[in-house]
Amino acid sequence: MLLIRPLNQGDLEDLHDMAEGAGKGLTSLPPNRDLLSRKIARAEDTFNERCAPEAGMYLFALEDTEQKKCVGISGIEARVGLDEVWYNYRLSTTVNASRELGVHVRTPTLHLTNDMTDTSEICSLLLSDTHRQGGNGLLLSRCRFLYMADFREFFSEKVFAEMRGVSDENGRSPLWDALGRRFFDMDFSEADFLSGMGNKSFIAELMPKYPIYVPLLPEPARAVIGEVHDNTKPALRMLQAEGFNFNGLCDIFDGGPVVEAFIHNVRTARESVKRHVLVSRQPVNLDVPPEERVMVSNRSFRDFRVTTLPKSCIKPDTVSMPAEVADALQVSSGDLVRLSPLKENRTAK
Amino acid sequence: MWIVRPARHEDLAGIEKLATAHGARVSTLPQSRDKLSEKIDHSQRSLAGDPALADRERFLFVLEDSDTGRIHGTAGIDARAGNSQPFYNYRRDELIHASHELDVAKRVAVLYPTHELTGKTLLCSFTIDPELRDTEAFELLSRSRLLFIDRHRERFSDDVVVEIQGVQTEEGDAPFWDSLGRHFFHMDFATADYYSGVKTKTFIAELMPPNPIYVTLLSDAAQAAISEPHEAAARTCQLLEREGFRVSQHIDIFDGGPVLEARTDELTSITRRRNKTARRGEGSRGVRYLVANGDSESFRCSLTNVSDGLGDVVRLNTTIADQLGVSDGDDLVLVAL
Repeated sequence: MLLIRPLNQGDLEDLHDMAEGAGKGLTSLPPNRDLLSRKIARAEDTFNERCAPEAGMYLFALEDTEQKKCVGISGIEARVGLDEVWYNYRLSTTVNASRELGVHVRTPTLHLTNDMTDTSEICSLLLSDTHRQGGNGLLLSRCRFLYMADFREFFSEKVFAEMRGVSDENGRSPLWDALGRRFFDMDFSEADFLSGMGNKSFIAELMPKYPIYVPLLPEPARAVIGEVHDNTKPALRMLQAEGFNFNGLCDIFDGGPVVEAFIHNVRTARESVKRHVLVSRQPVNLDVPPEERVMVSNRSFRDFRVTTLPKSCIKPDTVSMPAEVADALQVSSGDLVRLSPLKENRTAK
Repeated sequence: MWIVRPARHEDLAGIEKLATAHGARVSTLPQSRDKLSEKIDHSQRSLAGDPALADRERFLFVLEDSDTGRIHGTAGIDARAGNSQPFYNYRRDELIHASHELDVAKRVAVLYPTHELTGKTLLCSFTIDPELRDTEAFELLSRSRLLFIDRHRERFSDDVVVEIQGVQTEEGDAPFWDSLGRHFFHMDFATADYYSGVKTKTFIAELMPPNPIYVTLLSDAAQAAISEPHEAAARTCQLLEREGFRVSQHIDIFDGGPVLEARTDELTSITRRRNKTARRGEGSRGVRYLVANGDSESFRCSLTNVSDGLGDVVRLNTTIADQLGVSDGDDLVLVAL
């Protein structure tokens, strides 16, 4: 069984292995034990209410219960930009026109902004290569919206994600080479690593503050503004299906787009329903395709658990589940759980 | 004999020939007969002290060969750069991008759009027959303007600026323009240059990017062209530097050419000039001097040999005296060539 639960210090080695395998480009999770351990500690403080929930860092583990192994993580940063400064470029348009000469010129322009300050970010999604099938990625990503649906008061109305931008197999980013690098003598991969280590706002302080006129950048750099890395396209499509859209902002290093949605409009949250648990002795075939499964959350702040069940388990007032699933979710008959489809049903649309 | 005097309408054909035949660009000398005619008219009204032209007086002078009556050069002065409109430049500046935590401090070159030279006195519209580039006529034409400024000091600002032509390729492209202005004006350099000669400067205000430009984002060729004079302007630069002009922080918005600046009262031609009383008669041998006489419409400047003693009187032979319109007892201005 694959189960979502809060990340804990016992996951450190599994997490380190995954971070190492992920290679360049995963800014928020560099393979560094000290840093990962600090992140886990922060998540533990958050779930155990040792810090204000509005300032928390919620990290979830995807556990393969047979292997007793953490095979993926995902996170929510309750608010960005409160301790340090959060930077993005806004891709906007400058128009200059001369009626006398009949010239009307639109110039795409990058403005440095802190617009996402005080907004919730979904982040840190990482799934082990061995488990990239059967809707595991969907579960890992979408479980966060079930969590937010039950604890709306701790998160901002708007939630966003920064998508990884374009870089090549050597970790070179065309935008960084044309822009960031001109102001900061450093390779993208190194700058990216420093960002992950918590130095992003220091680097940002060295970046240009005045607007950047995009036509002054070379073609390869212009082409990647607001574009995602090939490896990130499935993640982008998944978020788009949830109702996320490009909001005109992009990453100041690699130009990757920022996508956002209002939590009440996010499909997983919007289409979710609550049902009472009915623990059943009837055997259930859990091995059905993603389209036929629902996510089930136990709605616990401290001991959040999510797994999936076949849709056929949903009844008018209840959801039936075998004892092993109820145990994994730490629920018993009569408890109220939240359900939402794991995967949107394309044929229904 | 070479003589510099205010332009008249009869000079139009000669000036037009210089403006169009001239290889190097002079945007303040438009390649349009109507505009040139307006320019001469404007100069004449400025000389006459037309009160409607307060703060936008513009003067145009010509270099005439008095033996043939032909025009071989032009030189202008705008009393107030911009002529009561904004006068655009970029100002070169540097920012320090520093991070204490990362122990980095980097100098970042920036171009700021600015109007701050508006209202300073501008030397402009300089063209000369290429054959005269290396002769004393070149120096006469350029420096005579400074003697005019001296004679009418109250009409001019305390600072004088000159825009020097910037780098261009043999095909007539300007690398600075191609890397910067072209993106915003959507026209090639020649077209923009033409418009800046014949149109009001409104189009610059409308199309020029309003925010500062990071130099590092420009092409290498454009960066190299910043504040770099065109080869053809080398002699002009030398002459102006001898006059006390220095390269300023400002550059031209079109081709990136340098703007030279000087304090009016510290110009060599002005600090070294002497006022003398004229006496017609035999010429003297002595050394070469620029000699100017007359005010406004009657301003004349030429070159002659003068043996300049300690006295207040200077002798001029009758030929040159006639050309300068000198009568006995007139006040002359002299400065050594």
